[in-house]
Amino acid sequence: MIVRLAWRSIWRNRRRTLITVSSIGLGLAFAIFFIGLAEGMYDQSVDQIVRTQAGHITLEHPEYRQAPSVDLWVDEVKDLKTRLDTWPEVEQVKVIILGQGMIRSGSGNVGAALMGVEPSTEADVSPVARNMVKGEYLEDGDGPLVVVGSELAERLRLDLGKKLVITSNDAQGNLVEELCRVKGVFRTGSEELDAYFVQTTLNFARRLFRLPAETATQVGLILKNADDQGEILNRARRELAGRSIRVLPWQMVMPDLASYIKMDRFSNLIFQGLLIFMILFTIFNTILMSVLERGREFALLSALGTEPRQVRLQVLMESGYLGLIGCGLGLFLGGLSVYVVNMLGLDFKSLLGEGVTISGFAISTEIHAKLSPGILLGSAAVVFGATLLLSLIPMRRAGNMPMAEMLR
Amino acid sequence: MSSIIFLENLVKNYGHDEVITPALRGVTLNIEAGEFTAMAGPSGSGKSTLLNMIGGLDRPTSGLVRVEGRDITRLSSSELSRLRRERIGFIFQSYNLIPVLTAFENAEYVLMLQGVGTGQRRKRVLQLLEEVGLEGLENRFPRELSGGQQQRVAIARAIVSEPALVLADEPTANVDSKTGQALLDLMRRLNEEKGVTFLFSTHDPAVMKQARRLLILKDGRLDHEGGMVAGEDAN
Repeated sequence: MIVRLAWRSIWRNRRRTLITVSSIGLGLAFAIFFIGLAEGMYDQSVDQIVRTQAGHITLEHPEYRQAPSVDLWVDEVKDLKTRLDTWPEVEQVKVIILGQGMIRSGSGNVGAALMGVEPSTEADVSPVARNMVKGEYLEDGDGPLVVVGSELAERLRLDLGKKLVITSNDAQGNLVEELCRVKGVFRTGSEELDAYFVQTTLNFARRLFRLPAETATQVGLILKNADDQGEILNRARRELAGRSIRVLPWQMVMPDLASYIKMDRFSNLIFQGLLIFMILFTIFNTILMSVLERGREFALLSALGTEPRQVRLQVLMESGYLGLIGCGLGLFLGGLSVYVVNMLGLDFKSLLGEGVTISGFAISTEIHAKLSPGILLGSAAVVFGATLLLSLIPMRRAGNMPMAEMLR
Repeated sequence: MSSIIFLENLVKNYGHDEVITPALRGVTLNIEAGEFTAMAGPSGSGKSTLLNMIGGLDRPTSGLVRVEGRDITRLSSSELSRLRRERIGFIFQSYNLIPVLTAFENAEYVLMLQGVGTGQRRKRVLQLLEEVGLEGLENRFPRELSGGQQQRVAIARAIVSEPALVLADEPTANVDSKTGQALLDLMRRLNEEKGVTFLFSTHDPAVMKQARRLLILKDGRLDHEGGMVAGEDAN
């Protein structure tokens, strides 16, 4: 009977109930949409950046992180790659040689990061390969050829086929120089990449830095699903325990990016929290008004012998119904909007321009929202739980109505 | 017969600090089980307050209230709820039906609280609604019923659980005289056939005439108490 009473009571003032559930629904839908959009942007940024850099999980020499240098390498990378490639969660294994050097042309010189890669692996995943504006991307058999960023090319007046000299220290600490030619020019939108980044083949990088065969400074794992990172990290640490290799998550390899995402997520949650708080305040007002308006009715229920806890339960159920309907609506609208933006994407180019960077890394302006049961159900659970919590004061009032006064 | 209501020096004051309005000024009264008692008096004389004290809807400032021998001023909220649910029926002047429940559901409500089974509930409610002349109107909501019909539902709700005591606050005040008489006949019949004790407040001389005992309250005191046979004039 209490269930029936609660259900019918919320529909007594149909307009108020519809406004209340719409408020809950729209508030939740907004929260889901913005959280989904932000999480989509984070995932997308991380995905783009780890593909350019050293993967979701990076394997490197135990001391490399303290003082990155080409003399701190990982050996037997071919076997390692073959072995890691068989893991079903791993989309691709990248082998990288990362060093620093001076790039010199007839027009000047610039300090730059030099990355040796396997072009056949990079071609599918790297934003550098996908953003060539002149010439072609590298191929596995290439000799002393490089691709350079557009700003670097402009500064050193480099063009396709032009010569440049890379000066660096090799793995033994000797000063070395190699002459090479420009095979292509890329533009990613990131100043860090476009002005200070040169990519070449793994073999040419080994030659430049005088590294032994089958060595690299880093081996990166790109995962099919970033959510598997923890599991794969543990597995890699377990299986490589006997080797002189440190296994790191991208958050430790790129702490600036991790901090940026953490801060942005936190501020986003504060914004969503404020939005939900304002909506919940409206709902609290609605529930309290509804109870106070029906003081006579609650007093009557008590006069007929209804226990105070049963009266309170009725108010709790009324709030529960409002919360359930509102959350159902919010889940539908929020889920639908996130689904649409997940499928079609939302391009912020007109608002943000072309060069959007996070921690110096360029990211796409087209954002695909993240459709995740965790976001949907977590947000709905928070709103539903808060709706129930808000009914505590009205519940107390309903259970303690002064009967004689109300029924007079 | 045993005492069903016993009041001793019952006092109820409203307000606090310097502004105190006395509603009952030391009422002492005994009502035996099976009585059909009317309580009359001018507005503000304390009739409703007295009914509220007996029904445990309000706490007295001082004095003793015993219902079926139990001092209800010492009962907890939960114990009072149980007493009202199982031993007392209420009929209010303004019906006080639950607006979102049908006539059937309103009458059924107390039985549900008591945990009576579905089949037995249905049988008793339908039988009682038929007795009060509401056959065919079971599924109507209060707003779809006339005042007299609503008061019949209220009476059905008050007596459906066959309580020991029915407290009625001006039960015929908002219905026409013909309906009022029919309601009184119904209550009288329940009193005679089932031994339900009735105590009701009224301004209506017709109601007073039906009572076996008439109490007159004035300024919160029992001004006159007299036993009377139905049909005898109140004095």
